[in-house]
Amino acid sequence: MRQRLGTGMNRAAVRRAADIGKRVEYLAFSIAGELYAVKIAFVAEILKPLPITEVPRAPRNVVGVMSVRGRLVTVIDLRRRLRMPEAPIDAHTRILLTDIGQGEQIGLMVDRVNQVYRLAENEIEPADVLGGDQPAHIAGIGRPDRALLILLNLIPILTV
Amino acid sequence: MPEGPGGRGESPADKARDDFFSEAQELLDGLSRDLLALDERSRRGESDPELINDVFRAVHTLKGLAGLFGAARMTALSHQLEDVLDDLRLGRIELTARVLDLLFQSVELYGLILSAEKGQAPEPSGEVESLLVALGELSSEHAGGGPGTLAHYDLDPSILGVLTEYEEHRLRTNIQSGLSLFRIRVQLSLATIDSALEDLKGKARPHGEIITYLPTGNGGETESIELEILIASQSTLEELRIPISGPNLTIEEVAKRAPTGRPSAAPLAVSPLRPQTPKVAAAPPAPSMLPSPPPAPPTSAGRGTLPPPPSVSMSPPRGAGGVPGGRDLSLRSVSQTVRVDIRKLDHLMNIVGELAIVRTALARTRERVRGNPALRELGIELHRLHRAFDRHLMQMQNGILEVRMVPLGQIFEKLARVVRQISREQDKQVNLVITGAETEIDKLIVEELSDPLMHMIRNAIDHGIESRDARVDVAKPPVGTIALNAFQKGNVVIIEVEDDGAGMKREVLMETAIRKNLITATEAEGLSPREIYNLVFLPGFTTREEATDLSGRGVGMDIVKTNIGKLGGVVDITSEPGIGTKIAVTLPITLAIISVLGVEVAGHSFAVPLASVEEAIVLDETLIRNFNGREAMTQRGVTLPVCRLAQLFGLADRPVGDLVSARKTKSCVVIAQVGDRRLGFIVDRLIGQQDIVIKPLGKSLSGVRGFAGATELGDQRVGLVLDVAALIEEVLASEKDLHLAYERRA
Amino acid sequence: MSRVLVVEDSASTRAFVRAVLEDEGFAGLVGDCEVVLATSGFDAMRLLPRGHYDLIITDINMADINGLELIHFIRKSDHHRATPLIIISTQNTERDIERGLALGANAYLPKPFTAEGLRELVLRYLGTKGNEAGPASESAAARGPVG
Repeated sequence: MRQRLGTGMNRAAVRRAADIGKRVEYLAFSIAGELYAVKIAFVAEILKPLPITEVPRAPRNVVGVMSVRGRLVTVIDLRRRLRMPEAPIDAHTRILLTDIGQGEQIGLMVDRVNQVYRLAENEIEPADVLGGDQPAHIAGIGRPDRALLILLNLIPILTV
Repeated sequence: MPEGPGGRGESPADKARDDFFSEAQELLDGLSRDLLALDERSRRGESDPELINDVFRAVHTLKGLAGLFGAARMTALSHQLEDVLDDLRLGRIELTARVLDLLFQSVELYGLILSAEKGQAPEPSGEVESLLVALGELSSEHAGGGPGTLAHYDLDPSILGVLTEYEEHRLRTNIQSGLSLFRIRVQLSLATIDSALEDLKGKARPHGEIITYLPTGNGGETESIELEILIASQSTLEELRIPISGPNLTIEEVAKRAPTGRPSAAPLAVSPLRPQTPKVAAAPPAPSMLPSPPPAPPTSAGRGTLPPPPSVSMSPPRGAGGVPGGRDLSLRSVSQTVRVDIRKLDHLMNIVGELAIVRTALARTRERVRGNPALRELGIELHRLHRAFDRHLMQMQNGILEVRMVPLGQIFEKLARVVRQISREQDKQVNLVITGAETEIDKLIVEELSDPLMHMIRNAIDHGIESRDARVDVAKPPVGTIALNAFQKGNVVIIEVEDDGAGMKREVLMETAIRKNLITATEAEGLSPREIYNLVFLPGFTTREEATDLSGRGVGMDIVKTNIGKLGGVVDITSEPGIGTKIAVTLPITLAIISVLGVEVAGHSFAVPLASVEEAIVLDETLIRNFNGREAMTQRGVTLPVCRLAQLFGLADRPVGDLVSARKTKSCVVIAQVGDRRLGFIVDRLIGQQDIVIKPLGKSLSGVRGFAGATELGDQRVGLVLDVAALIEEVLASEKDLHLAYERRA
Repeated sequence: MSRVLVVEDSASTRAFVRAVLEDEGFAGLVGDCEVVLATSGFDAMRLLPRGHYDLIITDINMADINGLELIHFIRKSDHHRATPLIIISTQNTERDIERGLALGANAYLPKPFTAEGLRELVLRYLGTKGNEAGPASESAAARGPVG
């Protein structure tokens, strides 16, 4: 609040901070070797897999339910959702607890979690750069320094 | 969409926002109750100035809150309402039907505004504008009150200085009506003053109107206080002494001054009151609230004793009109109740669930220690501790369950408002008679019930109750009646919605169902009367071609049935053409903890609510008959359809370790019953009975049929709880003809 | 450390006032405030003899003992005869406010007030000894723009 902006170095730091303010943070994770990402604002928690109970006759993409501190959370397998072959759970598998404000947190199972990228506007390409008629869950392509991220829209993914 | 947690720099308004919503809701609930009571009183030709003042204060408070928390629309509405209510309580305008209507509309609108503030609904701007205009037309132009006659009474001037304007007005009005003024002096301990005062109020109210409470400052010690209570009454001092009595209490009449001419005490310096010209002749009475009798103290004899708070009062006799006396409800002593967020209760229940798991582990440990003779002393100690733990845990569990219970009266009041609104909109006068509003049920169930009940009542008014003329034609009373009854029966609560309308004709129902391809003509012939009436619950069924604005809101009876099913309940409908229709909803009292029977199917564990289990028997495969893929057996001389859960759930073809050995051991049949329908579930083995905390599955899985929820099994594993009613329905739905074929064969 | 008694029967108004008084920035100006909440006139009467208060903020429109009666009582007592006293009230009862000032309150703040308005007024009285019992010297309405 009452900061003193003194030397030039401080000023530069403030300016960089202001820049960062304009970027959006994405959490990147891998599925079958590809890097994907979602806005981190929608990820409430990252968990190691807990015992998951299968729910008979649930939609295909649903792996089952698990208990997180007493609450029941539906878990969706992102591999299944993205029509990829299944893989066994291993030491790197993680469950992203996502919250898109619909009153329920849904778990998203991914192969491994990578890191958080702060993407500036010029580092995001719209989905149609891949050609028209992209599926609804593709939000765009993220191109931070040395990586390529497929940015995902969560609503189509989490709607069973 | 949330953008993450709120940052620092929240304003005070943001920090207290939840308190605002909670308090506003409470105020609205109280307002609604009071208005209903006012409505009833006004129909009887009575007035209740205290009630009007309560309504004024509620709106007054809402206005203040709305301003503090930046809810502009609420402020505007409150401002206008306050003016009208002020005019009302000061006697400047009358409480006509039109005024009451607008007041009711205001409550509805407040509700909508509050939802909009919470971000749960769109802003009702248009409605607010028109209501503001209508309210504005009501406010009167005349200044208040008649000339004062307070000079006549021997009151200490300083007392008059601490009366609020309203209290002063009430004082004047009572005096002008010829009532006497009394002074009750009582010494009360500060620690218990709230309940002591409630007591005293209860004793005093039937006999007069309490004007104000004044601390005299003669308390002496700091822990007690002396109050002077001014009360206006038609009774004499002798009459009042009997009911209004107690330790440290005296009551005397406030003497009238000698008439002018005789030098008496110093002239009353009662600034800023208007200077009094002491006149002996009575001044013309101030305009009264209602056309007929001048404001009288609240009715006493004939009303019976007040029931203790906070329960709701009993219903008036059938046909007496109106809804239960809401006034008694507003003995909502603020200090006696706590408003609790249901999520906190859920959290507590979770902890109880975890403790239950600990208790089981404790029992196992106790067994192990018992088995070791060297640890005998320890074993006894452990046993004692386990028992104590178990006992206290049960008590806590029951205690929390009780806290979750709320009286159904909560939603019944909302329904009463709806009935009033609809019956004014249509040319149908409808009387809503409520019994059993004090019946309690789990809070979560209550919240989900209000929509289905509202829909049923709208249906009853729209399709059931005939127009005035039609009713008179068939010699029915012109005012239709809808009875809302609730009562507890063992483990369930039954809510009935019964109307004395036109009823439903079976032929019409069948014909509609056939026309909409919901059943075939042959199927229709085999239906029992009860099954015919229950056709209305089929998806896609509506008897009117154009759904009217009221009931055609996209919620069909099938959705009502599904929603009630999700709460673990069932709904049934019967009717008699020309007489009326009755819908009965049966619900479990609480969702939270249920007793279940654990079963294992193809390596998976499931829980079957014991309330639906008739018995469990060992399966004798030789008894099973097969009809086109459906199976049934004879059990105790009657047909029992059976269903293999492994097949139904598609689990049979999963490779499970001992599937082979499972064949060798006998399977079991869990015979479930809901209503008069039975089904035997074939499972691999029984695990055992236990009490569990049932939790709902998320909305994401709402499309999956057959599960009522799930529970924690310890070690963070989860067991699914079967929705027996839904499963029975699913399995038996298409079985009717085969069922009949089997009967004939056997 | 100042002790403030807030007498108000509305839960959310209490929460609001407390948030204002306990705000970090505000504490920087007046020092820490210990906020004591009373839910009714009687509640206040229980609390007053038990401690020392540097400021009392009270509503007028409360059930049972209304704020005016409370003010009268406070100004008659030995303990808090001179404690600064602020009324929070609404404009519809101007007569009541006049009476409140006549009974010895120091200032009134009409509802709806803003956080700034409340802060300003509190600032003025914390740290002062307040008036002797008697007619108020200020009837300042420290009102911010009404939302």
